[in-house]
Amino acid sequence: MAMQGTGEAQVNLAQELRRALGHAVLITLGASCLGLVVNLFHPEGIPYVTWSDYETLVPCPVPGGKVSGIGARDPLLVDARSLLVDARPKKDYQAWTMKQALNAPFDYLDPMPESVLKDMTRKIAASRAVRVIVFGDGDKPDSGEQLARELSGRGIKHVMFVEGGAPALMRAVNAGGKPAIRNKAR
Amino acid sequence: MRSILTWQGHGWLCLPARIYLGCIFLLACVHKIAHPGSFAIDIDTYDILPIQAVNLMAITLPWVELVVGLFLLLGVATRAAAMAGAGMLVMFLAAVLVALARGMDMSCGCFASQAVANEDPISYWTILRDSAWLVTAMYIAVFDRRAIGLARLAEGLLYKPHK
Repeated sequence: MAMQGTGEAQVNLAQELRRALGHAVLITLGASCLGLVVNLFHPEGIPYVTWSDYETLVPCPVPGGKVSGIGARDPLLVDARSLLVDARPKKDYQAWTMKQALNAPFDYLDPMPESVLKDMTRKIAASRAVRVIVFGDGDKPDSGEQLARELSGRGIKHVMFVEGGAPALMRAVNAGGKPAIRNKAR
Repeated sequence: MRSILTWQGHGWLCLPARIYLGCIFLLACVHKIAHPGSFAIDIDTYDILPIQAVNLMAITLPWVELVVGLFLLLGVATRAAAMAGAGMLVMFLAAVLVALARGMDMSCGCFASQAVANEDPISYWTILRDSAWLVTAMYIAVFDRRAIGLARLAEGLLYKPHK
């Protein structure tokens, strides 16, 4: 008797869910039709079908591996075993940078050519530095952090970036704080 | 099994769940209905659908969210609305999982467009959140047999037993 009751309940449930599923399809179709009609009169209506891709800026895979951020007053910045890389455009680099910093302009939306990145990687590997510290424009996203990720993803170990980028470094200089900021690029 | 299904308390348990889920769907559809162009870009950002299907999805999906949200809130065809909602949530989960697997660093686009929703990046928390909503929708679909709401009210008014 109990088994019969359980079976009946299962049949009922299955039937009810099947009916609800049918109604769900109807709801979906009805609402979709409503959307299609409203779109005709919508001030921001769009064509039903588009053939050309949208220009999307966001969906790039996160480049490279893990990197850590350091402050603009971190002593590692003046450590001789640190290799500094300035990710800002050449014009900004020429105006101000840290002494002996390499320039590798990096634009998140216009990634570096493969050859330039390989050359950069070779230079870093050839140096005797035990760590690489990248600083960029300090924007969001920060070009320094992005380049650091690129380099880290290419197998360079101990890559860091300066939080706040060059503006933070400049503020540290103006405040006369440590670390002593290196001079303008040679 | 039967006693679990027929337990009268489900209606009362489902009521807050329905209100919560209904509000979620209504909140989610507002921006998408107002700006279908932005939502189309959001869908294209996931890079899952063929481009020809992107606009159709952008036009229709928010309206399904709207109707599902309203039905859940008002208690009209609640099990069907919950099922439609569960279907959408499965779709969203799949999209977010694919995006995460591809290493995409992007906003969810669930409640606002990519351009303004930088604070809502996709992550495993998004998966967890959507999964919780999916479980809620499934619970309503299976157990809310006589939902408290307009449909039940109308049923009571139409079929009042004669004394």
